[in-house]
Amino acid sequence: MNLYKYASPTNFYPLAGKMIPWFATPAGILFGVGLFVGFFIAPPDFQQGDAYRIMFIHVPAAWLGMFLYILMAIYAGIGWAFNARLASMMASSISITGAMFTFLSLVTGAFWGKPTWGTWWVWDARMTSTLILLFLYIGFISLQSSIDDPRRADRAGAVLALVGVINVPIIYFSVQWWNTLHQGATIRILQKPTIHGSMLWAMLIMLAACWLYSVAVVLIRVRCIIVEREQNASHFVEATV
Amino acid sequence: MNWPDLSMGGYGFYVWGSYLFALLAIVWELVTLSYRKRAREQEKTAQQVLRGTTNETTS
Repeated sequence: MNLYKYASPTNFYPLAGKMIPWFATPAGILFGVGLFVGFFIAPPDFQQGDAYRIMFIHVPAAWLGMFLYILMAIYAGIGWAFNARLASMMASSISITGAMFTFLSLVTGAFWGKPTWGTWWVWDARMTSTLILLFLYIGFISLQSSIDDPRRADRAGAVLALVGVINVPIIYFSVQWWNTLHQGATIRILQKPTIHGSMLWAMLIMLAACWLYSVAVVLIRVRCIIVEREQNASHFVEATV
Repeated sequence: MNWPDLSMGGYGFYVWGSYLFALLAIVWELVTLSYRKRAREQEKTAQQVLRGTTNETTS
């Protein structure tokens, strides 16, 4: 099977359409399972009581905000370096979902901060760098929509995406580099998690649900972008009849 | 299995508020995407019809 043929927007369009249900359906199921485990199985926290349950949406949203930015920058970089139209379209498609998750992480963080820290917001390193991430997403989206020529818009967006990627490690390590109000990482790859197993499972299931949801939504959106950009190309219209 | 207390031990506003906000964000994304998808599908159909018509007239 020649996978390279799917680098063409025309060939990718029907494939994306077939893939969407395979991500959307498990996403819906896992959202249900994750919320069930998070609210019915996981016990209240000994310090924060039930307020900690915000974690099941806050942490996946924050991780996806960062991860989708890296993915967006990779796609934008590939699109720029190899003149690959589909990669640039994927970057555009990812940006809105990434911005949504980053915004969600900031809002749910504020909802968690008020009962635990006594304030909705502080100019803490983690929170400020996450806010900068949101501004980078908004900058990318605004820049792309302000330039009429899609190829020029893709190049300009790629520069911003690649420069802004430096902010992601800053967000991740901010709790180690600076003395922040935000707590340190509870889950590390090389260390045993410090939270109860059911809490960890609920969070991981919600993370998987959010990830599958993102893939489904990005695929739906990239199909719209393909139609928007290729609608005047006769080969696309004929291929998708 | 723990049946959760709806008041969330006094933190109900914060817990349900954050989940309500998450739901609204996801619904907003899906609704705007659905409008965009519908508009593009209509454009695509119109384009196909136009090309079909053009082919008929030119042939």
